[in-house]
Amino acid sequence: MDISRIILPNKQAPWRTRRQKIVWFLGALIAITMVAAIYLSVTANAAITGREIQNLQAAISSNQLINADLEASIASLLSTREMESRAEVIGFQPIKLDEVEYIVVPGYVPPEPVIPFNGSYFEGRSPATPPEYTQSLLDWFNELIRSPETISIGIQ
Amino acid sequence: MIKQFGWRSKVVAFILAALGLSIVVQMVRIQNSPEAEIFRQIANDFAVASRTIYPARGEIFDRNGRQLAGNRTVYEIGVNLEEVRIYDDTQTIAEELSKTLGLDYNEIVESITHPPIEHLKYLGLADYIPASQANILMEKQNEYVEQANKGKGNSASLAGLEFTAHYQRTYPENELASNIIGFVTQKEGIGFFGIEGEYDEQLAGTKVEVLVPQDPNRAEEIPKVPDGTTLILTIHRELQAAVEDILDEALSKYDAQSGTIIVMDPRSGEIYTIAATPRLNLNKFWNYYGVYNNGNEFNRAISIPYEPGSVFKILTMAAALDSGTVQPDTIFLDTGAITVGGHTIRNWNGQAWGYQDMTGCLQHSLNVCLAWVSSQMGAETFYQYMQRFGIGRLTGIDLAGETSGRIKFPGDDDWYPVELGTNAFGQGVDVTTIQMIMAGSAIANDGRMVTPHVVKGMIKNGVQYNTPLQIAGTPITDSTAHTLNEMLANSLEEESSSALVSGFRVAGKTGTAEILIPNEGYTSGGTNASFIGWGPVDDPRFIVYIWLEKPTASIWGSETAAPVFAQVVEKTVVLMNIPPDEIRLQVAAR
Repeated sequence: MDISRIILPNKQAPWRTRRQKIVWFLGALIAITMVAAIYLSVTANAAITGREIQNLQAAISSNQLINADLEASIASLLSTREMESRAEVIGFQPIKLDEVEYIVVPGYVPPEPVIPFNGSYFEGRSPATPPEYTQSLLDWFNELIRSPETISIGIQ
Repeated sequence: MIKQFGWRSKVVAFILAALGLSIVVQMVRIQNSPEAEIFRQIANDFAVASRTIYPARGEIFDRNGRQLAGNRTVYEIGVNLEEVRIYDDTQTIAEELSKTLGLDYNEIVESITHPPIEHLKYLGLADYIPASQANILMEKQNEYVEQANKGKGNSASLAGLEFTAHYQRTYPENELASNIIGFVTQKEGIGFFGIEGEYDEQLAGTKVEVLVPQDPNRAEEIPKVPDGTTLILTIHRELQAAVEDILDEALSKYDAQSGTIIVMDPRSGEIYTIAATPRLNLNKFWNYYGVYNNGNEFNRAISIPYEPGSVFKILTMAAALDSGTVQPDTIFLDTGAITVGGHTIRNWNGQAWGYQDMTGCLQHSLNVCLAWVSSQMGAETFYQYMQRFGIGRLTGIDLAGETSGRIKFPGDDDWYPVELGTNAFGQGVDVTTIQMIMAGSAIANDGRMVTPHVVKGMIKNGVQYNTPLQIAGTPITDSTAHTLNEMLANSLEEESSSALVSGFRVAGKTGTAEILIPNEGYTSGGTNASFIGWGPVDDPRFIVYIWLEKPTASIWGSETAAPVFAQVVEKTVVLMNIPPDEIRLQVAAR
């Protein structure tokens, strides 16, 4: 290859070299800016989601307290003495043994009582959040440098 | 021209580069300065918050799912002293708290302005405030914030007021079944007496300490803490209420000092009710010392042993029949007195009853006859049977505070030969009512004695575990049990006892025991009136024990405890859907 073919035009038009450098510089700048912008966006979204999680956790706790309160109120309204007094007001009275009439109903099976259990169902330990959702770019880079074996095993 | 500006460009580039470099140097310097370490430490302190998660205490339900103990939300109200100082709202807080909660204005101002510890950040002012009152204060606090945002109103605020919600134990039935349930103290959260005391650990659950990241980027799911175990009792709420009413009425009618009624399923040991006096409103457990003189009064059915009197004769007769000492038709000539261990034992009325078979001995409750029966049996056999019936031992009922009572055995320092005779009719032996009903279950239940229990099942992590049937022993054979059942049913029928219930064949025995005064003897004139009975005789579904202490309207069990038994049975069969014998046998025949 004739090198003079490359050098000569640059000597004749030096602005070409400068323009190339500027293009490279701007290209690098745009790439860095894009990475920074994406990183910022991801971090901001993660922060917003994290805050939402915290708010939901607070809402769950609050709802549990409200539920317990409502359940206690219902139990109080349905208590024996309360129900007795309400029944008496509307004209009911306790049945006596000689007032009961029994009818034989073939095949009748009395229903089982329903226990209004309101406790939480414990599902063991909650699944750990994968590190990809919590670590920053720098954290990930740090981890990559510090434990390459772990990473390679993870990839396999 | 280019050369003219070339050096200027280089100077500007150099200055900018130097500036950039100095910024980098400064950044590195700041990052590694001693102050940076302090700031990092402060940041770390706030990065995570330690939080203790207390599981909700397990609920308690009756056998039909009616809540007997639950939790409600209450608030601790306090002030953030730093914020109060910044916003200078001490007067406003004191005013609102005194208006809403009825607290003393001056005391609040004093405690906020002069906190007990210097540099205190948070000061609690009131606890266990109902949600309704706390909500009023929260709304007020929001109103002040809205006014401040709109620039209206004065500078008053409730900015420093903080609300911390937590659970408080609540008992919707107040006094109902209080002797069975027990209570939980507020501050310590410890269960006392009954189910709350016996199952305190399971009901309370396990508290968990967690570190909660404050950085939303590091937000994680807070570990789920399982609630305390939920308990389903064998208690039937409506029957419990009805039996408590019957007991209260009986105490008033017969002018008795106190009383106990137990209703149990003799086939499974499931306790339907334990009504005892006095009772405590569990939502006001702090009145405990005003209601009880000591702890064993909380549930007399399991904690207060007493001399049962003639109801004990069913155990003596069961032992005698089972050991072959007597037969139902064995004839005894009652002369009105018998000497055992050098002491003379007489009948309850001091009279001679002539020739009696064993049913007659039970029907007329003849002490002389039963003392003769135990003497014929011999001390070794008699006390062996009493041990088999669980007399003098804990029944193992799942309620806190059970006591064992005492029966003296030959060889004990304080046992005398006369006690073989007196024990036979329930004198000189201390039993609890729960022991007697457990022993009675053997006679009602084909010889199999069941362990009484109050917990039907537990719900943990969404799974229900039912309490298995526990047979406490087989002290007598099924044929002995059937024979004695017939004898007891016949004796009630022949004497036209007030314990009889129309439509249901029941078996049972009354008891009237003079009360022993230590070092004085049976001189008080007061009695313990008792009745043990069960039915239907051919397929027992309930066994009932009545104990009335010191009735004065009549001292006799046959006139006090026996009619109470009939009342309890009438309620039990209606509420437990037990049809009359005729209907039941009609269904069984199909």
